[in-house]
Amino acid sequence: MFSKGIGIIAIVVLVVVGIFAASAFFVVDETKQVVITQLGKPVGDAIKDAGLHFKIPLIQKANYFEKRVMKWDGSPNQIPTKDKKYIWVDTTARWRIKDPLLFLKRVGSTSTALSRLDGIIDSVVRDRVSNNNLEELVRSEGWEEARQKLMEAGLPDLQFLGAFRQTEGDKLIKGREKITREMVADASRLVPEFGIELLDIRIKRINYVESVQEKVFERMISERKRIASQYRSEGEGERAATLGQMDRELAKITSEAFRTSQELRGKADAQATAIYAEAFGKDIEFYEFYRTLDFYKNFNNPKSSFVLTTDADIFKYLKNSAGTSGE
Amino acid sequence: MDWDRQPHRGPGSGNIQDLEEVLRRLKNRYDFSKFPRGSILWIGLIVVLILIGFTSYYTVDPQETAVVQRFGKFVRTADAGLHFKIPFGIETVRKVVTGRVLQREYGYRTIEPGIRSRFAEKGYEEESRMLSGDLNVIDLQWTVQYKVRDPMDYLFQVQDVESTLDDISESVMRRIVGNRYVDEVLTVGRASVADMAETEIQEIIDQYKTGLQITMVKLQNANPPDPVKQAFNEVNEAQQEKERMINEAQQVYNQKIPRAKGEARQKITQAEGYALERVNKAQGEVARFSDILTEYEKAPEVTRSRMYLEAFADFNNKIDRLIVIDGSQQNLLPLFDIGKMSTPESAEGKQ
Repeated sequence: MFSKGIGIIAIVVLVVVGIFAASAFFVVDETKQVVITQLGKPVGDAIKDAGLHFKIPLIQKANYFEKRVMKWDGSPNQIPTKDKKYIWVDTTARWRIKDPLLFLKRVGSTSTALSRLDGIIDSVVRDRVSNNNLEELVRSEGWEEARQKLMEAGLPDLQFLGAFRQTEGDKLIKGREKITREMVADASRLVPEFGIELLDIRIKRINYVESVQEKVFERMISERKRIASQYRSEGEGERAATLGQMDRELAKITSEAFRTSQELRGKADAQATAIYAEAFGKDIEFYEFYRTLDFYKNFNNPKSSFVLTTDADIFKYLKNSAGTSGE
Repeated sequence: MDWDRQPHRGPGSGNIQDLEEVLRRLKNRYDFSKFPRGSILWIGLIVVLILIGFTSYYTVDPQETAVVQRFGKFVRTADAGLHFKIPFGIETVRKVVTGRVLQREYGYRTIEPGIRSRFAEKGYEEESRMLSGDLNVIDLQWTVQYKVRDPMDYLFQVQDVESTLDDISESVMRRIVGNRYVDEVLTVGRASVADMAETEIQEIIDQYKTGLQITMVKLQNANPPDPVKQAFNEVNEAQQEKERMINEAQQVYNQKIPRAKGEARQKITQAEGYALERVNKAQGEVARFSDILTEYEKAPEVTRSRMYLEAFADFNNKIDRLIVIDGSQQNLLPLFDIGKMSTPESAEGKQ
């Protein structure tokens, strides 16, 4: 009976020690940091080193907080820009608990922190967006260089749009990076009192609101139509140019051919004339006679009738064999 | 202090009896008395050893890296194979896939990978829609491939690394496209946009120590939004039309010019032919005339008469009729019926 009593006591002691040990030791993961509170009051510095740690059992409590960088994701806001363009802005931010003691005191939990950040970041974003033109929010550092590079590459469609014309409004004043840095700077002034460090705010998405988007689509369509008609008229112009060139060449070819052939013919005629003149000039009277006879010989019209008088040479023997005239 | 009073509560009134009751019941249920006392100890020992055995080793697959934490604190990493650890949860193991290239898709999702993968675009328009630098709207789909380079950073530095990567990827892509003209992104700029995105995403995720390594950023579809697509196609059509018009004109040109050249050559050769003919003819005629003249000069009178008569005979053969009237006859013409003269029957007289 005595040994049994000893055994029971031993077991009880073991269990109690176990409970003590379990509540005295606590494990801190690499991803966590801990604030010890004693009856609700924070004690000592925050524990940021991972490993096995000790606290007074039962009256001290380990409050775990995330040590890693966390993400804040805002819901998209409809905000007008400075140039009165309505856009949806979707932002995201990264933050971490820098001072867990303060965080525990002022905020308490991650979900509360996120809702605090909602308020702060939303208002900062709203301020900055409505203080800047849309171009500033879309473009960022290097816009001018990017355009320069593009000009060198040469895109024909862009030349039609006159995109390379430098205009005053195209100068980038700030750009997206600078604006988001300003957002971070503004928000960072407000968050330290919560024990939070804000690492960045990023504009994840910017889109036109539905009604503006339709207008933008219309503009895009009209721009494209402009480019298309430019191409068409270029085509027509090229065609006209080619056809004009063709007409010119045709005129040149035919007229040159005409000239050459006329020259050739003229030379030949002249040569022939010279030959004739030289030969026929020897006896002009005989030439006339000869040619006239040639004409008679070669005359060929079977339907023709001729009336001759008996005075013709051929009929000189018709009335008498002496060939003398009747008179 | 409060806490050291705690153990004295243990042996208090009710508790012990409850405990005895429990032990008794346990004893009745598992009637250990059947076994010899030593064997119970042995069984207990074996059970404990088996438990230790089972919780003190772990295996790591080839594509994984194991991160071992002792009481939550990082102690070591382990590569593929069989490894040992301190059991009972003192050392815990987390495995991270480090050897495999993973992929995030933006603006679309692969539903069914395969030779002809199927993709879903509906419902992801929000991810793909963005503004270009010239304030146009463009739908861009892209893929980021990455792997875990540093498993410790991956686990311990940033909460929810993948969704952080998503945020950065989307914001970087929009920044880059926001610095370009829509035409550039749609055409020649694709490769440079992807390259820029890759370096920039890497830079930013390195700042946060996500432990990720971006292996590739690839642009998939870059399209104008649906309502505008038609107009973009029209530009392409107009471009084709331009080409067509130029080609047509060239065609007409090619049809007409060579033909005209040929015709010109024809004209010239014809003229050359004419010239040859003309000169030869002249020379021939002249030669003939000269010959006759030579003969004529020998006996002009006789030759002249002969030539005349021969010619007249030839002439007479080739005409319809010859009317001979006396040289003194005046006003003869009214006697003839001019209209009937062509008919051979009414011949006055044919010699």
